Amino acid sequence: MDNREVLVDIKNLRTFFYTEDGVVPAVDGVDLTIHRGEVVGLVGESGCGKSVTALSIIRLIPNPPGKIIGGEIFFHGEDLLKKNEEETRLIRGDKISMIFQEPMTSLNPVYTIGDQISEAITLHQKIDGAEAKKRTIEMLHLVGIPEPERRFSQYPHEMSGGMRQRVMIAMALSSNPELLISDEATTALDVTIQAQILDLMRGLQKKLGMAILIITHNLAVVAEMAETINIAYAGKIVESATAKEIFKAPRHPYTYGLLQSIPKFTEKRTNEPLPAIEGMVPSPYHMPKGCRFNPRCPFATEKCREEEPEIIELTPGHLVRCFHPIES
Amino acid sequence: MRDYIVRRVLGMIPLILIVMIVSFGIFSLVPNPFAALIENPRIKKSDIQRLIKAWGFDLPWYLRFFKWFGGVIRGDWGPSLLYPGSLARDIIARALPVTVRLMGIELLVSLAVALPIGIISAVKQYSVTDYVVTVFSFLGMSMPSFWLGLMMMMLFSVVLKRPDGMTPLLPAGGIITPGLEDASFWVKFGDRAQYLVLPVFVLSFISIGGWARYMRSSMLEVVRQDYIRTARAKGAPERLVINKHALRNAMIPIVTLIALSVPGIVGGAAITETIFNIPGMGSLIIQAEIKSDYPTAMIGLMLASVLVIVFNLVADIVYAWIDPRIKYS
Amino acid sequence: MAEKAIEAKKKGQKKSSEDYTYVGMVFHRLTRHKLAMVGAFMLILILLFVFVGPLVWRADPNAQIEGIEGLFNVPSSAHPMGTDDYGRDVLARMFFGGRISLFIGFISAITSTIVGAVVGLAAGYYGGWADNILMRFTDAMLSIPTFPLLIALASVIGKGVGQIILVIVVFGWMVDARLVRGLTLSLKEQEYVEAARAIGASANRIMWRHLFPNTLAVLIVSTTIGIGGAIIYEASISFLGFGVQAPFASWGNMLQNAQQFIWNSPRLIIYPGLAIFMTVLGFNFFGDGLRDAIDPKLKL
Repeated sequence: MDNREVLVDIKNLRTFFYTEDGVVPAVDGVDLTIHRGEVVGLVGESGCGKSVTALSIIRLIPNPPGKIIGGEIFFHGEDLLKKNEEETRLIRGDKISMIFQEPMTSLNPVYTIGDQISEAITLHQKIDGAEAKKRTIEMLHLVGIPEPERRFSQYPHEMSGGMRQRVMIAMALSSNPELLISDEATTALDVTIQAQILDLMRGLQKKLGMAILIITHNLAVVAEMAETINIAYAGKIVESATAKEIFKAPRHPYTYGLLQSIPKFTEKRTNEPLPAIEGMVPSPYHMPKGCRFNPRCPFATEKCREEEPEIIELTPGHLVRCFHPIES
Repeated sequence: MRDYIVRRVLGMIPLILIVMIVSFGIFSLVPNPFAALIENPRIKKSDIQRLIKAWGFDLPWYLRFFKWFGGVIRGDWGPSLLYPGSLARDIIARALPVTVRLMGIELLVSLAVALPIGIISAVKQYSVTDYVVTVFSFLGMSMPSFWLGLMMMMLFSVVLKRPDGMTPLLPAGGIITPGLEDASFWVKFGDRAQYLVLPVFVLSFISIGGWARYMRSSMLEVVRQDYIRTARAKGAPERLVINKHALRNAMIPIVTLIALSVPGIVGGAAITETIFNIPGMGSLIIQAEIKSDYPTAMIGLMLASVLVIVFNLVADIVYAWIDPRIKYS
Repeated sequence: MAEKAIEAKKKGQKKSSEDYTYVGMVFHRLTRHKLAMVGAFMLILILLFVFVGPLVWRADPNAQIEGIEGLFNVPSSAHPMGTDDYGRDVLARMFFGGRISLFIGFISAITSTIVGAVVGLAAGYYGGWADNILMRFTDAMLSIPTFPLLIALASVIGKGVGQIILVIVVFGWMVDARLVRGLTLSLKEQEYVEAARAIGASANRIMWRHLFPNTLAVLIVSTTIGIGGAIIYEASISFLGFGVQAPFASWGNMLQNAQQFIWNSPRLIIYPGLAIFMTVLGFNFFGDGLRDAIDPKLKL
């Protein structure tokens, strides 16, 4: 359906954490496709494995306790999981970059931001210091930081959270990556700053044409940006479709529940409480048998409690992991 | 910054006064050394009285303090009682270089060993190396210095002999072989070094554990920070992540601790000096105080305490210098 | 895959840390700390040695064997650790010396902690000039090289067990005072303390009922580690000849006495030194585990 080249193709990724209290199947069979230049959303509640998926792509799962125990991550048709540490390191920050949730703590406090961005540049490009500085200032300018020459020699603590996240973006984009992974990059920011950063990312995506994987727990964040949205629940992708279809015609009961719990301002005000999904995310140590969503699902049957559903393509490009998908 | 330093220096004055009064007060509890002389029929009573008066032992301790303090302000630290005929100042001046040499080498050796193993231990947390380092650190931290000193002496000065079968492998105590005082520099250097091996080993073995634990926990704290993940995410090789991004941050508290431990170089190590018969500050201060030689003991103690107070400020300044987030005003 | 998840589930049900109370959780973490368990084991052995030993090996620690043949005996069935320079049974002296060393260690560490807690609570709670004076004094005490003054004090106030405890406490409370003051300053800002003050609770009541219990966990750790330190202090004082006096034994004065016989009877040095070393190591291992179990970030 999408005739662009496939950039990233994740197949049945499984990343487990072996803790003292037991094994946590944080990612347990995730499939995900990202095309060249595509903006993809990965949405789910905390603990559903979305960040672990992202860290698995750039192979930064802390080991121990974490370990990628199965699956494939194809990047330009080559399995990243088969590459050695040095080969993945060269891709990290060059072809695939990542920005994180906490701009306040994601920058090294004892080096200037100029230092930190130049380092990212010289790690992947054979250029000298002066040229790296020039490029750094260009990048700072590109992400909308005023007075980039002065900012170059400032320390992170001299900047606000929004500015620091811009620095992180400048650093991530400094080597023209083909994929930018944004892991809750706007969650920790004030709402107005959040909108600015999202605007910036959208603008840069148009300008530079890289693919973006947006990881968030907030459907509203991806609503306007993402072409394709993947919904994750308890370590698995439960639904995947274009953004339009996810919002118009969700097929998985979990997606439906998520959408119901977003307040709609167009509706008349009622005294009805906002519908919420019953129950709680399962403890990673106590995964339910059968479909992992069954204890919270209003449509669950005996089959859901016994067997695990496979993901199936209901309509072209619309995949759902459910025995009883909601009729559109 | 300048205002800050001035304010801190002014704040030191009451601190130094309290230290002086407390130390002097405790020393004044040691009985008057001249009282015992009364028993000696060969010394004239009037001479004893004169001595007691000259030393201020006829006064209550706080008045004696003022008498001593008045002298100190004029630069007169008084004569030594332990070594009659010498100035207390000169006695200290003789012991000081001995202790500084011993403790300075000890500090350098400890840091040179402890910091690298602390870093490796943290980077490879839960590995066999980490467990070995941890256990050895605790062994050192729990070791009574006198026991280790005696055991080492037993091993290297009693059991093990040089190839001639007579002389011990390492000298049991002292600082230089008698008769070598006028030898050439390198001969003396080699000779002194032999005498330093055992005491430096004993002192270092005990302090390496603590330093390694500090370094390890500081490093562990840093490697789980978000900015370390950022460094990895930009493709920095592990060597760079540790040596540049982690180490610079982990060293901040360690450098402070190093600054705080510099004054110890002057205070000496009383027990180890006693065991190895080293005429340093630690053993001198203790001998002086039990013989009621308060002028000598007070110089030693004041030197050490004032350095502690000054280096507290130095540590804070160094802290601001290596951590760009800290600004004093 | 499913089996793995079920396995994980079974494992989790037994041990998931959510199911424990605070004390239970600390205990649970402690039992998983290998070094802490090694330390606990060592301490149990030492306590058994010191307290049960004399019931098994009934020898008078102060009885001297007459005649030159009784001195410096090598270990034999009559004297499992041999005899010392007065012909006394070393094993019996090790038992009773251990009791004194441990007693001094325990009591001085606990008393130091209490004194430090009182100073720290008062400074932190009252603030202002009280805080200023108390903390200036604490800083001054921390700046003085402790050991020489400790020896000076020990050399004058006498050589009994009580005096030695007093000396160790006089120079041992400052770190706890700083620690408790810091904790008090942050606790005092919390709502429940404000609430207690609002309903008119007295300063004493707030300090001891509301603030002190919250510093207890930290104080237990610092006391545990402090016992090891106090035992070393006792031994050091005794080693320089100002400790517990003969005929009473302590591990420290046994070592001091043995020093002069290092050339012909080294075992007299090895036994008490090893006992001190093992005891201090046990407390350090256990204390470290306790700290990790209570709060790994604690700087102690």
